[in-house]
Amino acid sequence: MNFHDVRDLLWLSTACYGASFILGMIKTRYRFPNGLLESPFVIILIGFCLQTRALYIRGIEIHGCPLGNGLERTQFILWSLILAFLLLRLIWKLNLLGTFCAGVSLFLGSLSLSLPAWDTPYWTADGYTRLFQDPWIELHASIAIFSYGLFCLLAVVGMMYLSQRQALLSRRTGFLGPYLPPIQELDVAGFRLLAVGVSFLTLSMVVGTMHWTRHPEFVSQEKLTITTALWIGYLLLLVMRLTNRLYGSRFAKWTIALFIIALFSLSLVNSKTKPQAFQQIHSSPLAQVKL
Amino acid sequence: MSTIPESGLFLLGTSHQIANLNERETIGLPNDSIEKFYVGLENLPGLKECMVLNTCNRTEIYGSSDDSFQIDCLIKYLADFRRLEFEFIKQKTYKRHGAEVVRHLFEVASGIDSQMVGETEILGQLKKAYDDATERNSTGKVLNRLFQKSFQAAKWARTNTGISRGQVNLGNVLCELARRIFGRIDQCRLLVVGAGEVAESALEAFKSRGSEAITVTGRTFDWCPLSRRKPDELAQKFDGFTLAYSKFHESLYLFDVVLASTASARALLTKSEVEHAMKKRPSKPLFIIDASVPRNVEEAASIVDNVFLYNMDDVSAIANENLQSRLSEVDRCRIALSKRAVRLWEQMKAHPSLPS
Repeated sequence: MNFHDVRDLLWLSTACYGASFILGMIKTRYRFPNGLLESPFVIILIGFCLQTRALYIRGIEIHGCPLGNGLERTQFILWSLILAFLLLRLIWKLNLLGTFCAGVSLFLGSLSLSLPAWDTPYWTADGYTRLFQDPWIELHASIAIFSYGLFCLLAVVGMMYLSQRQALLSRRTGFLGPYLPPIQELDVAGFRLLAVGVSFLTLSMVVGTMHWTRHPEFVSQEKLTITTALWIGYLLLLVMRLTNRLYGSRFAKWTIALFIIALFSLSLVNSKTKPQAFQQIHSSPLAQVKL
Repeated sequence: MSTIPESGLFLLGTSHQIANLNERETIGLPNDSIEKFYVGLENLPGLKECMVLNTCNRTEIYGSSDDSFQIDCLIKYLADFRRLEFEFIKQKTYKRHGAEVVRHLFEVASGIDSQMVGETEILGQLKKAYDDATERNSTGKVLNRLFQKSFQAAKWARTNTGISRGQVNLGNVLCELARRIFGRIDQCRLLVVGAGEVAESALEAFKSRGSEAITVTGRTFDWCPLSRRKPDELAQKFDGFTLAYSKFHESLYLFDVVLASTASARALLTKSEVEHAMKKRPSKPLFIIDASVPRNVEEAASIVDNVFLYNMDDVSAIANENLQSRLSEVDRCRIALSKRAVRLWEQMKAHPSLPS
């Protein structure tokens, strides 16, 4: 185990999330000694510290915010998810929320680390220029990814809502039902998370738009379309929830569906690198006329 | 240093384990005669300390004594006091000595010897009986230590085993379901339709959890002159409000929990009426409990989004499931308590004068 190696650290943090998930599930069924009651939370905290260190080292390597490939983006979202959970836990203790977050981090973290194609060392390529040379666009990207973390947490809350609802509709005690938070609280939590997530995404869009208006050549049409569509999707969800046109189980299902779409669309929202953009400028008919 | 002989700690008692309800009623002490019973008990030769536990399900006399004490004297005293045959009492009671008393008391206090396994009421009754005995100065070093340790053992059992897991009382099951839907029960608005026994039991459970917004309605307001005041009485008993039955459907959306418990042969609440109410509270769940046979709420109402409809079969099934879960923990709990009991008894025999 090399504590200076990004992948080793990320594997270790994923293992911590896995351990926390397993302990959390066991804790729901069997009583723990008083001294070990908080062990799932402590292990999440250790995992979070390891993940932070890994992303920090990668950031040093690429001289910027590590969002250049699939692994980095997934890990950054998971980091945001755990950060959002830790912040939320300060004001509001939802039973099993940490366990569900750890479960999602275990699944997506293992997946991203198991696919070598997701971790291409783009920063070692010839002619690599820093991913984010403009601090504003770096801010835009980090806020956007943090909002994705919040939407991930929203999807987790949606899963908990559907689990509790299913347990209640089955009219049996069930394994998890008694330990999950009440569905009304989950509904309120989902609404608040959506509102905060949309606010962050909107802020990120505003910052991104400022960059786009100055340098439209750096933003691909694909990225523009997908990001705007996703923002409109979440905004629409918020409006429909506010006006009580979408609520309960359908709202929970939409939060999960939108997050899955957001996750898959991430690979398509890469900004063009500077050389690509310059190449595009110089090969355009307008540029040829000028030349 | 003097030591406690095995026979120095004793118990004579009866419970649902050995006697049926009629027999328990016959042997059990009326509440107003306990004082008199203690007076006679303290005069028994050789008896040094005593404590009487008298509940609807068990009557037990715990005591410590010297060598001159004969348990048959106690049986005779109880038989004379209750004007029963000596042989009847002898057959319908159990006798324990030494470590067996400690083990039995630990099991009683933790609720695993109760009819409803894991119930917590017995611990409160035991504490009250112990307080009564100490006020009368009937207990001493031996019983004080024994009972303090039994309270600790009960706490340990409930914390470290699953004997109290889940609710087994119907009213408590309903409250637990309401908690899983709304979170805080004291903020739930409860409407009771009808004034049956199930309704009363549920109201008690909700009230004990701090529910204040209780409303009662019933058809008897309108057509049954003989029981005209019954819903009013129920509302009055639980500091609730009454609602005219004619306004029940139009006010449905104002309530979080609706409990129907009437003798009506037809459905009082249809799917369309529930849908209509939900339109006025779309994002807020509605918990409907149909405690009537035949049912008072259309089964189809359960498919309305955010509506959770339970009938008595569903609630009983959950209570039974929880009970099975508790029963599966009884053996583990019994073994652990037995070890604690033996350990305590060894200490008590070796150091009888140690404080609790």
